[in-house]
Amino acid sequence: MAFDKLIELVQVGDGQQVAAEVQKQLDAGNSAPTILNDGLIAAMDIVGEKMESEEMFIPEVLRSAKAMEQGLAVMKDELALDDVQASGKVVIGTVKGDLHDIGKNLVSMLLSSAGFEVIDAGINVAPDAFVAKVEETGANFLAMSALLTTTMPMMKQTIAELEQRGLRDRVKVIIGGAPVNQGYADELGADGYASDAGAAIKLAKSLRA
Amino acid sequence: MKDVRNASRIGRLQFLSDEQKRDIYLAALEIAGSIGMKVYHEEARRLLADAGAEVDGELVKMPRYLIEQARQSVPAVALIYDREGELAMELGGYNSYFGTGSDLMHTYDLETRERRDSVLEDVARAARLCDALPHMDFIMSSAHPTDVNPHHSYLLSFREMMRNSTKPLVMTAENAKDLRVMVEVATELRGGEEQLRQKPYFVVYNEPISPLEHPVESVEKLFLCADTGVPSIYSPAPLAGATAPITIAGHTAQGVAESLFGLVMHQLRRPGAPFLFGIGAAVLDMVTAQSSYNAPEYYQTYMCMVDMARWLDIPNWGYGGTSDSQLLDAQAGMEIAQLTFMAMMQGSNLNHDVGYLDFGLTGSLEEIVVVDEFVGMNRKLFQGVDVDRETMTVDTVREVGPGGHYMTTEHTYRHLRSAQWRPTVLNRYGYEKWEAEGSKDLREKAGDKARKLLAEHEPSALPENLSRVLDEKVNRFTDRVA
Repeated sequence: MAFDKLIELVQVGDGQQVAAEVQKQLDAGNSAPTILNDGLIAAMDIVGEKMESEEMFIPEVLRSAKAMEQGLAVMKDELALDDVQASGKVVIGTVKGDLHDIGKNLVSMLLSSAGFEVIDAGINVAPDAFVAKVEETGANFLAMSALLTTTMPMMKQTIAELEQRGLRDRVKVIIGGAPVNQGYADELGADGYASDAGAAIKLAKSLRA
Repeated sequence: MKDVRNASRIGRLQFLSDEQKRDIYLAALEIAGSIGMKVYHEEARRLLADAGAEVDGELVKMPRYLIEQARQSVPAVALIYDREGELAMELGGYNSYFGTGSDLMHTYDLETRERRDSVLEDVARAARLCDALPHMDFIMSSAHPTDVNPHHSYLLSFREMMRNSTKPLVMTAENAKDLRVMVEVATELRGGEEQLRQKPYFVVYNEPISPLEHPVESVEKLFLCADTGVPSIYSPAPLAGATAPITIAGHTAQGVAESLFGLVMHQLRRPGAPFLFGIGAAVLDMVTAQSSYNAPEYYQTYMCMVDMARWLDIPNWGYGGTSDSQLLDAQAGMEIAQLTFMAMMQGSNLNHDVGYLDFGLTGSLEEIVVVDEFVGMNRKLFQGVDVDRETMTVDTVREVGPGGHYMTTEHTYRHLRSAQWRPTVLNRYGYEKWEAEGSKDLREKAGDKARKLLAEHEPSALPENLSRVLDEKVNRFTDRVA
């Protein structure tokens, strides 16, 4: 395969060499969408499988994702916006009153590595701020995190806010965090719940399809 | 040469003060010297009399200087090599190694989960499983085959162990006859008597009978070991309250005397031959009449024995990974963990009985997998903590700063694979994932791992010529001995 080396370099997580290899493939006459799909995305699919089978650890997955982005940067002029955004755009954040962010960051990084465009709204995000971000970016996913039972109700308020502004049908709402569960997601009318970072990526992929 | 030392780099357990060790040693000398012991092996009595022991019929009283002399000549370290001739264990000091036990009459069948009589195939299976497990350092027979002639059982087990694993062995034998065949095979393996002496392939378990008796078979096996340089354990199994005093100090003192009595015979036979000191510190439960391997009193005498071994500077025979429970349940988990942790923390050298349930009557392959995991986890713990600029890494903390994260720093990548130990059967899944994987408990996961390893692991084959020699010698023995 022409992209064997590129796929290997993404897995190893060597960004500089990935960028050089992408340039080499462009010079050899391969089209940017082909390099993206058969090289970079194919590599990240393998990375995803290796994470699932516990061969790769989370920081290694993140390094591969970063390497992929460096490869992508080389082709930014050649790629149409549609090629990159095909996989989904996510607004993610920790709800109002909650400052916990390592879980949210982890999901955010892994979503990027799975090919999603991620807009990180940060922590302590109020319902109207979430909705404004969704509106502004045209996102089709909203991912909310809460670690405290006291801040969980903010998820419900955010969904209500989405409905009020007529945006609810445009986005898939997914939620997570230690006190949250599937039952709560059902009660809120969220589109999905994930119990850990790996599950969140699977969930987002399944809703995207 | 490969470094196989693994002594704990953190604190150690100590049960006896130096003064108490000396007191117990003096009590042992008094038992050996003024009470004496019965020695049923005639040649041994002659050897002891010639050396200056007081012999009256079968009773032998041991003067202190013979014990002191033996302590001088016995090596402080015994090096054990695997089947391929690679160094596998450095017995002595505070190194801790683990392996299965021997001669279990019953086995939990891995497929049916039923307890049934042990068969020869169980010996092969346990050996093959241990061959695949990274923290099982040596193997014993595990099962005692009930489907063969009892006089053939040890030698047939030896053949299965040798075929199914390259790891070093600890052997039990009926007497010097079957043991001699094992020594002959090991001599062929190494290419000569002197080569076997340089690189022992197996250790032999021998024991006197408490209180204070040394059977003919035990001494003839002990002598055969001394003659050939095969390391010998000489470990009594005094049962506290039944065949030894019920108090810890008395239990220990009698056991020390019995083991050292064997040391003297062994060193008189051949000074400098490798020897392992030990006491099987069994305790008679005065209500159920069972012999506990995990009573706190057992732990106490065991740990006192290891204290004495380090004080005497003689390698020791020890215990780990065993439970009194009939099942691999919470009691088993508790007992396995406590016993094994204590053995590692105190630096007990050659620890057997991994996989024992039911007071040493029933074997469990699942338990062997669990103990392997436990030893692996604790080997990480006992490596101690490296404290230097690289590991404190203040620069990385500066780079990340308040509110940042360490998931993608170079420092995290650099240490990712070495800083954290990874379990293979202990559960680290969240509830949903655990449920999705079948809601399995530890025993089920250990069983899955054991079945997978037994199905997939192919031990390195015995060379053709050696396999032939092994078969010839074993068959000649089984034809001759009815």
